[in-house]
Amino acid sequence: MMWGGLVLGVGVYVLFGIVPMIGNVIISFTDYTGLPGEAVHNTGFANYTSMFSTQAPGFDQAIVASLVFVIAVAIGQNALALLFAHKLVGNGKFAAVGRLLVFLPIALGVTVVGLVWILIFNPQEGPMTSFFGLFGIHSAFFGADNWAMPLVIFVQIWQNAGFSTLVFIGGLRAIDPALYEAAAMDGVGGWQRLRRITFPLLAPSVTVNVMLAVVGAFTTYNLIYVLTDGQFGTQTLGMLSYNVAFGSFEADLGYGAAVSVALFLITLVVALPLMALLRGRERRLLR
Amino acid sequence: MRRPRLVSGIAIGVLITLLFLLPVLYVVMMAFESPSHFLASPMTPGSPDLGNFGNAWNSADLGPELLNTVLYSVVAAALAVALGLLIAFPIARRLLRGHSLLYTFVFVGLFLPLSIIPMYAEARMLGLFNNRIGYIIMHIVQPGLPGLPLAVVVLTASLASVPLELDEAAWMEGASYLSYLGRVIVPLTRPALLISFLYAMIWVWNDIIGPVVLLADPGLAPVTKGIYSFYGSNESQFTLLAAGVVIVSLPVVLLFIASQRQINRASLVGGVKG
Repeated sequence: MMWGGLVLGVGVYVLFGIVPMIGNVIISFTDYTGLPGEAVHNTGFANYTSMFSTQAPGFDQAIVASLVFVIAVAIGQNALALLFAHKLVGNGKFAAVGRLLVFLPIALGVTVVGLVWILIFNPQEGPMTSFFGLFGIHSAFFGADNWAMPLVIFVQIWQNAGFSTLVFIGGLRAIDPALYEAAAMDGVGGWQRLRRITFPLLAPSVTVNVMLAVVGAFTTYNLIYVLTDGQFGTQTLGMLSYNVAFGSFEADLGYGAAVSVALFLITLVVALPLMALLRGRERRLLR
Repeated sequence: MRRPRLVSGIAIGVLITLLFLLPVLYVVMMAFESPSHFLASPMTPGSPDLGNFGNAWNSADLGPELLNTVLYSVVAAALAVALGLLIAFPIARRLLRGHSLLYTFVFVGLFLPLSIIPMYAEARMLGLFNNRIGYIIMHIVQPGLPGLPLAVVVLTASLASVPLELDEAAWMEGASYLSYLGRVIVPLTRPALLISFLYAMIWVWNDIIGPVVLLADPGLAPVTKGIYSFYGSNESQFTLLAAGVVIVSLPVVLLFIASQRQINRASLVGGVKG
């Protein structure tokens, strides 16, 4: 019975998790259009070389957009979450309400979150349109080149800060209160306690949160799809991969798959050294 | 020392209210505005008007779409959690050689960017394109948030707190594997099951890419596609969109708040017992 369950579970995981991963690589070497009945040909590395050609523009911009998005989200999300966690770690009623509120976007979900912010920033009657209008600033916001990317970054942070906050709160609660008491007895000030106790012992949570934010920001595109559909300078690699496959009339699934393989490799190139760096930091701080 | 702490506490309270409560309240207010009043004065609430809800409900088939969404997200999430338990239990109990290897194999699933492109190709090949069962199956190990790997990770951690003696007692009584899992393990790991279920469910509930790529028949569309159609047409639709957003998110938010209590209570009881 146990083996049956195990085979069933792992089977589903392999068939609908691992096989598509490998399938993606295979598709990236073809001219697959996704249309039933149309012949599929092996095109070798054509999809990969065309990334750097002028015939398929947008790849360089997508790399830049992805990096800007990932770096800004990773820093902003964790800074905000650290601030929230520090203030919401307690057992009081206000802290509990605060935790519920920062977690609300996760319960709302990605499509609803996107639509909420589209309503808030809608260029005709949106409250933020009126607000910025007070300062003489008029913009199409999600429809403007200089606003779209910062706003998309903001909404991604808004959506996920609650989760990072909970991870940090878990980390803060795992710190032995006796350490703080001992430090207070020795007359160590509040800032020093934060620097000498909280910061080092929070290092494992920092690792988890930074990795989740980076990998999450690299791979996400549902939110961007809802907010801008990758227009106005928000076409990250994930968004580009989707758009060349399903967004345009070209239906170039082979090229889309190649872009997502490239995205995977870039994520690895960034994530693995970052992981090593953060682990090293943990060891140094916890020694 | 006390005063600055109070001041910074209030500052954070104001910040959280402005950032997280106000936008949501504004959209709720908008949903209750008549379109004419909203166009005339978008910032102030008028007399509550339920017209948007009726219009949203009728103009986009939200009813049948909501039923589709409930079906897809509940069944896919339940399957992800059930299969997750079937994988997590042998791993947590070290019942097989290479249990840690298997754990790593599933764990990396959390970080693999699953592209929708091969999911589409696979759905086409296996006859899972444009049908309900296929849509559910394609969402067990989801593109986006990976429901099944997440359930395995959360449940393996949670199972560590279930005493081994319970396994042995059940073994002596000759309980079958599945009935043991169902009668003993499920109640004891309920918070972890609930958390993995909710996460997986919220993601399927909100998926907008899946319905665009994996479904073609309008009768199969989930509710995200319905409310998304309010967006992009003429501007008087904004109050309609707000009503749609409220209709779609209310069930999940209520479920989330209800289970929040249960999760807290359960972990409290577990803490006292443990």
